[in-house]
Amino acid sequence: MKALDRQQIGILYDYLVRNCSDTRLARELLDHLACEVEHYMWIGLPFDKAFEKVQLDVDTQAIRQLQQTYHHELADADQLQTATLDDIVFENRNKAYGAYDLRQSYTIAMRNALILTIGLFLMLMALLVAMKERTWSYTSLSGIMWLVGLCATTFAGGNWYWQNIRQKLLTPEQY
Amino acid sequence: MEPSSSEFLRGTLKTIVLKLLAEQGRMYGYEITQSVKERTQGEIVLTFGALYPVLHKLEQDGLLITESEEADGRLRKYYSLTPQGSQTAIQKVSEFERFVEAMRTLLHLQPTLSVHPPVSYPTT
Repeated sequence: MKALDRQQIGILYDYLVRNCSDTRLARELLDHLACEVEHYMWIGLPFDKAFEKVQLDVDTQAIRQLQQTYHHELADADQLQTATLDDIVFENRNKAYGAYDLRQSYTIAMRNALILTIGLFLMLMALLVAMKERTWSYTSLSGIMWLVGLCATTFAGGNWYWQNIRQKLLTPEQY
Repeated sequence: MEPSSSEFLRGTLKTIVLKLLAEQGRMYGYEITQSVKERTQGEIVLTFGALYPVLHKLEQDGLLITESEEADGRLRKYYSLTPQGSQTAIQKVSEFERFVEAMRTLLHLQPTLSVHPPVSYPTT
């Protein structure tokens, strides 16, 4: 079978790249087209005629359709594997409106709120016990409860504050 | 590809590709279309638009692996079956054979059915 020279392959590749934005796909189709052109040349057509004949089969629309099939079958499958339910629900919706961010931060906000509540509750209990007994020692049960509560409250408060700052940094200025 | 056969082909393309690769070992895209064309004497012609999405889907599912080699000044991508792919090929082919068998009995029942006289409903 007659092999194409470098320049002829270049012409084919140009044609493909013009019609196909995905270079990986273009490179694979190049071999396919080149084989078909070689086949027609082997029958006896000159390169130009063979290329024209192949272009009839491989028109722009066919390539575009192929590319779309790719996006549906491959890209979506890739994304779907990493997508959360939120991503799927908000696929074609306005994410900048705010609901998406709220949903995204829901688990962290919930965790912080829970820790904060428990921490404050422990501190309140410790305070009540201390007021009733009118003595204070950090090694007693109420003292430990106070310390744990203080740590939890600090952690949750700090985390909440940091999340707020980070979100402000990440959100681009809209005005 | 004829419009009439493309409808049937769509569901069987995967099986065809897997079966061919199971027999030949290693093939590239154009080789697959040519092989199908030769074996069916031009009855089934795979277009590149139908073939490549299937190949890439199978590759993504882990049934095929690819290796690229340079041939005649361009990269040629060879496809071959993974162990999982070989298993799927056997399974798909046997499933398809059962389906064809079922279709054959279904289609051959038709003449015997039409022999019966048409049902006449009593008119009251």
